[in-house]
Amino acid sequence: MNNLSRRSFLELSAKLCAVMGLGAGAIPRLAEAAEELAAGTAPVLWLQGQSCSGCSISLLDADAIGPVQLLTRYISLTFHQTLSAATGRQAVETVNQIITAGGYILMVEGAVPAGMPQACTFGGEPFGAQLVRAAKAAKAVLAVGSCASFGGIPGAENNPTGAISAAQYLKAQGVHTPTILIPGCPCHPDWLLGTVTHVLKLGLPPLDALGRPQAFFSRRMHDQCPRFADYERERFAKTFGEEGCLFKLGCLGPLTHTDCSLRHWNGGVNSCIRAGAPCIGCGGEQFAAQANLPFITKKRAAENQG
Amino acid sequence: MSKTIELNPVTRIEGHLAIKVEVEDGKVTKAYVAGEMFRGFEQILRGRDPLDAQHITQRICGVCPVDHGIASVLAQEMAYQLTPPPNGLLARNLIQAANFIMSHLTHFYLLSGPDFVDVAMIADYQGNDAALLALQNWVKAQLASRTIVPGGPFLPRYAAQYLQDADANFTVLRHYLEALEMRALAHRMGAIFAGKLPHAATLVPGGITEKVTALKISEYRTTLNTLRDFIDRAYLPDVIAVAKAFPAYFSVGKGCGNFMAYGAFSQAGGSNTKLFPGGVLQSGKLQPVNIEAITEDVASSLYSSASGRHPYEGETVAAPEKTGAYSWLKAPRYNGQVMEVGPLARVLVGSQDGQSAAIKSAADALLKNLGRETGDLNSVMGRHAARALECKLIADQCEQWLDQLTPDEPTFTDFSIPESGRGYGLTEAARGALGHWLDLREYKIRNYQCVVPTTWNCSPRDDHGVPGPMEQALVGLPVADAENPIEAARVIRSFDPCLACAVH
Repeated sequence: MNNLSRRSFLELSAKLCAVMGLGAGAIPRLAEAAEELAAGTAPVLWLQGQSCSGCSISLLDADAIGPVQLLTRYISLTFHQTLSAATGRQAVETVNQIITAGGYILMVEGAVPAGMPQACTFGGEPFGAQLVRAAKAAKAVLAVGSCASFGGIPGAENNPTGAISAAQYLKAQGVHTPTILIPGCPCHPDWLLGTVTHVLKLGLPPLDALGRPQAFFSRRMHDQCPRFADYERERFAKTFGEEGCLFKLGCLGPLTHTDCSLRHWNGGVNSCIRAGAPCIGCGGEQFAAQANLPFITKKRAAENQG
Repeated sequence: MSKTIELNPVTRIEGHLAIKVEVEDGKVTKAYVAGEMFRGFEQILRGRDPLDAQHITQRICGVCPVDHGIASVLAQEMAYQLTPPPNGLLARNLIQAANFIMSHLTHFYLLSGPDFVDVAMIADYQGNDAALLALQNWVKAQLASRTIVPGGPFLPRYAAQYLQDADANFTVLRHYLEALEMRALAHRMGAIFAGKLPHAATLVPGGITEKVTALKISEYRTTLNTLRDFIDRAYLPDVIAVAKAFPAYFSVGKGCGNFMAYGAFSQAGGSNTKLFPGGVLQSGKLQPVNIEAITEDVASSLYSSASGRHPYEGETVAAPEKTGAYSWLKAPRYNGQVMEVGPLARVLVGSQDGQSAAIKSAADALLKNLGRETGDLNSVMGRHAARALECKLIADQCEQWLDQLTPDEPTFTDFSIPESGRGYGLTEAARGALGHWLDLREYKIRNYQCVVPTTWNCSPRDDHGVPGPMEQALVGLPVADAENPIEAARVIRSFDPCLACAVH
């Protein structure tokens, strides 16, 4: 909000630095970024393809920056299908005006049905075509969540729509707008907020080989796991609800690079492994991709007798 | 003269929905409701490990993942002949309840609210509420700026008559801002047992993976108190204020008149009673649900698979070019009949069911407060009122579930996966009756079908050409201005459509 004091932007930015794992030196620049977003000079356009809206819901669950501050201070949200008042033709015209003006940050949630364009449309236009138009005019594209980043479940084996990630689709269509992948099912709100603010003021954040911000995706989950000591002592849980490392229940922590075990979810209340649930690798490139790689390892009836 | 009006896309719902209505002499004569997005979850599930199902089906929808997770573990428990311990069932209730509260608050304030509340009136605000003053400054600055969409995402909107009473308008607007925080708080509460939300981590056949401790019970209770206070202080009074300000909406949006609920929220003590009982209500008569009577038609749906199949035998083969079809939704029918599902169905079924005195007395009290009769509930405002009413019932009931938990006792019953089996899981999602059907062969999913609340409510015409509940609710609706069809938008959103669920 525009009557905010410089001080309040600095306070918000200090919070954000903590979220992003940046040093205090970045605070003034992040404060400028926040002011720029609030002033509407850095608008955000949010589009949804083959998505479940889970990443939108997750963003609204943000804790470090509450949703009211988010919508009125951090993000000048020009259009979002789940939140915008504009309906019908007004919605189509609003999106087209935004695309014509250009210069926004495009946040895209969901996959693209590359093999079946009718499987996702907006105002009658295939989503893939809309995405290409919007991405060409954008300053940067943030692929929010695993569907937009890697294809996720819509792009899993045996899917009937030829779904691929929004990022892959843009590449295939020859769109060269800088694109950052922020996977997760859903995407953690801190990962998204940290990345967008970084893009605005500090430029593109350092990315890993897959195009994910290193700040959030460089560390192996397993190495920060609250059950790491159990792993070291080879104390393994044999079934759910037991103490011990969840590796033998199929935990993908050793293969997954996210910071969930340190950051936790929903305002730090809990996280999968802490709650006794094996990591299903939802931030990884191969999440849900192969039908013969189950999330959970559990004994079968026949194996009991042996 | 006939005129066609399109609402494509319908925003402020979950997902991709397109509506076409034909209007003659200012009234809707025909309506077509179309789902515009398909992913193919049912094919993706085939051949996978059955324990993938509760994780994958939750990803059908980010607004109602928990309900899919519950339906999936219930279907598996039937197939594995497995019963969770009391702690497991109670903790699941608490996770599902938290998500219901999140969903209902999101629906009334964020999704439907902008159809009734006048955001632009904030410019005239003269009070001293800090949050409203901040909003006023923000809106003024936005409107004065050269930003592309000033006031986005709250503007632009249909030109229409919004709440005129300034006090009521500013109160609901103030609560809109608060609801943004409250709905996140509800998810935080659910994550105490869910691990995280959306997409709960802990749901498994046999119970949950998370423990029950005295500290977790207290944590949940503390947050619950804040939410119950908001529901009593803001949500219910706001729904009543909006309902009284728009009395005409008790007379429009009348659905098919058939209501169905599967029932949900098992009560402790090993009995089969549920907070919300199941039942089918037709012509004022309540019958138990006969699961065998459920089928899905595809004559108007973009699928080439066989029509009229029971979900165990259901198929989902996409045919995007199919002539005569206009929606990615199938058309579920009960004994061949159209059914409305959702909070209104739950409240009406619960009010008729002799076992649910709490629902009946709460509904009677609310109707008295509104100066309305039971018959008025089959309407736009009736759906909003029923939703708010059940939100309170659920939140209040959470206190008892917390009391019934036993710290440090098991939350999970162990099992092994059988070579083959069948099972279905029936529950209630925030938007209505939800069922999953699982057929297991050689340790893998042979077939998996989901029949989802919005599939019922937004269904297209069936094999006999009979329109779905929302299509019926739109017919007869007066639309004053074809450029600003706010009346249609209000009818559509009263169902709280969830399209990612409906098509999956």
